[in-house]
Amino acid sequence: MGGTGKSLKIVAGLAPAAFAMGILFIGALGLSILQSFGYAPAYGVSEFPTFRFYERVITEEGFLLSLGLTFYYAIVPTVIGAIFSLLLALALMKGFKGKGAFLFLYKIPMVVPYLVGVSLVILLFSNGGLIARLFYHLGMIGSPSDFIRLLGTSSGYGIFLVYLWKQVPFMTVMLYAHLLVLDHRQRESAYLLGAGPLQRFFHVTLPGLAPALFSATLIVFAFNFGGFEVPFILGAGYPNTLTVEAWRLFDDPDYTNRPAAMALTTLILVLSSLCLALLIGFYRSWQRKWGQL
Amino acid sequence: MKNRTSFSLSVIAGAMLAGTALQSAFAADANTENFRQEFLNGKLSWEDVEKRAREEGTVNWFHWGGSEELNAWIERHVVPKMKEKGITLKTTRIAGTREAVDLVLTEKQAGKGPGEGTVDMIWLNGDNFYTLATQKALFGSFADKLPKSVNFEFDPKVPASQLNLSDFGTPTEAREMPWSGEQYVCYFDTSRLTREKAPKDFAGLEKWLGDNPGRFTYVKPPHYIGNTFVQTVLYAHNPKGNGFKEFQRPLSSFSAEEFAALIKPGFDYLKRIEGNLLGGGKAVYPQNQAANQSLYNNGEVDFACEFGLYLVASKRESGAFSETTETLAFPASGMIKNKNFLAIPENAPNPAAALVLANIMSTVELQISKLQEIGYPLGVDLSKLTDADKAKAADAAPSHHGVSAEELGSLAVADTNASLVKVIEKVWIAYIERQSQKPFTEIVKDAMKAN
Repeated sequence: MGGTGKSLKIVAGLAPAAFAMGILFIGALGLSILQSFGYAPAYGVSEFPTFRFYERVITEEGFLLSLGLTFYYAIVPTVIGAIFSLLLALALMKGFKGKGAFLFLYKIPMVVPYLVGVSLVILLFSNGGLIARLFYHLGMIGSPSDFIRLLGTSSGYGIFLVYLWKQVPFMTVMLYAHLLVLDHRQRESAYLLGAGPLQRFFHVTLPGLAPALFSATLIVFAFNFGGFEVPFILGAGYPNTLTVEAWRLFDDPDYTNRPAAMALTTLILVLSSLCLALLIGFYRSWQRKWGQL
Repeated sequence: MKNRTSFSLSVIAGAMLAGTALQSAFAADANTENFRQEFLNGKLSWEDVEKRAREEGTVNWFHWGGSEELNAWIERHVVPKMKEKGITLKTTRIAGTREAVDLVLTEKQAGKGPGEGTVDMIWLNGDNFYTLATQKALFGSFADKLPKSVNFEFDPKVPASQLNLSDFGTPTEAREMPWSGEQYVCYFDTSRLTREKAPKDFAGLEKWLGDNPGRFTYVKPPHYIGNTFVQTVLYAHNPKGNGFKEFQRPLSSFSAEEFAALIKPGFDYLKRIEGNLLGGGKAVYPQNQAANQSLYNNGEVDFACEFGLYLVASKRESGAFSETTETLAFPASGMIKNKNFLAIPENAPNPAAALVLANIMSTVELQISKLQEIGYPLGVDLSKLTDADKAKAADAAPSHHGVSAEELGSLAVADTNASLVKVIEKVWIAYIERQSQKPFTEIVKDAMKAN
């Protein structure tokens, strides 16, 4: 009896979230998958089921390039961000002057929207932005437009800047919170047994932090993989990420292209789920190896 | 409005009430559909339309709201004029016209027929009109049935009618009312580039870019501003020598080989100049005209092109361009001219009020005020106006800064057939942007097939 009451409570607790998810997420997802297989009578396409649209987007020139860029824009800022955050979180464990103020200040980007970060990067780093003008006034370049082109190219530097600005605070919060509750005694006994600082870090602190580091990285990677607005504004006109390509197809005045856009978004979803599944698989086997499970 | 209120009531009050509300909603629709049929078949007098418009009481106009000058002008002049007719003008300022088109189509998909939608009028042209026309979501051929239709040339025998009868090559069939005109022009800063040294045609541009690498770029197709630049290049390099005329033909009249031969010289030109465009070898194409303007204002490029006969005047006025910015009549081979329009969707809830709005927008008084106060060119045709009105219009026009209206007028050429534009933009993406290594004819074939 008690069991049913408990599960009823759980169901009731989950219902509102599940309901919203069901309507907003699963509903839209189902519809876009249907469209990607050719069910879009509203746009004059009703060939369900067909793989034509998948075939079209995969065989399109530049698909592999876009796929490569999508991974590049997702992986590089995630890895760099994780390293920065780890260093920052460790630094925060030590006392220093003005730590209280810093603990407050470094979190600010977390509540500021990505688009504000994008505008900041444009103001500072575009050719003709503040830094280019500074270089020009110092006589280091002949005109502001000679400044090295960081935005509007596929190098991704502008995109990385925004992602790092926003995500390093986020990952640091997760790591720092975890560090605070980590058991100090292990580190202390390692110290007493003669382990050096690097040994203590790699054999005690890092394995202890692994769950937090892993989940923070996973969240950030998944976001960057599916990110749209930052590469759209700061990336090159071409090539760009799969999300930007999907948007182009969706925005085409010819609406019969929309199923192809949906095929691309479905592919993005499948790919990012695969990546997450792989990462989780690796993490679990690592945990088993280290006896954490 | 009435329908929507009754609909929400029905949800609250349950099955019985819902039944009656639904019935009245159906009656209202039949009524609207009836009005549409009668008006389009010429069975209603203008008094009938104005009477029904007063009963409807409101009209919902969706327009691109990115220009504060335009928004203020509408509040100042159009709202009071509509008030005189007993109609409240409700404007919805949208970031892109596509939003309104999507709304109309979504409602249509949801089964909302005549009288049941939310959009009464959209300011649009080109792609957006093409979309509504192909999705059969337009009210019908109304533009030649309003009292002020006399201000437009609709006679296909007169060349000037072309701008009213064809919207980027899509036949308008009077399903939209011309509201304003535009011409593709370029602007430059006389403090950085003298008029003598500025390029005058595409051969001149190529040479100038050789001497001044990186000082020019164009908006990236498939944005329509970029497409228009590419079309102008193709006109100038048309191997048949008849410029824009060849590009009035619909796609169906071309074989892939013939079309490829027609556009190849122009695309080779674009390929040749690419290395000297902005970006130091890796060409940077701005996404839209705003991005291009900021490149210009930042001093990254010396001149730029977009639609806007009075762009320089209004941007100088607002301080967005330097006082030394002037208009450049480029290229001498022909600058594309077209019009933009007011369209009524099929499911407009207040079609009569929308017709009254279209009529008021076409009055000489509002057309001249729009030209004078915010520099939006006339949509009405000068040839159809009285001499007194012609003189007023000439006085009202702002300066083009550096070139005369006659010079710009003499360079104006027609837009490309919309069915060709789709192929041209696909070829640009494959050949220029993605640097496809396939033979050119293959690229054109693929682009025509994808259509």
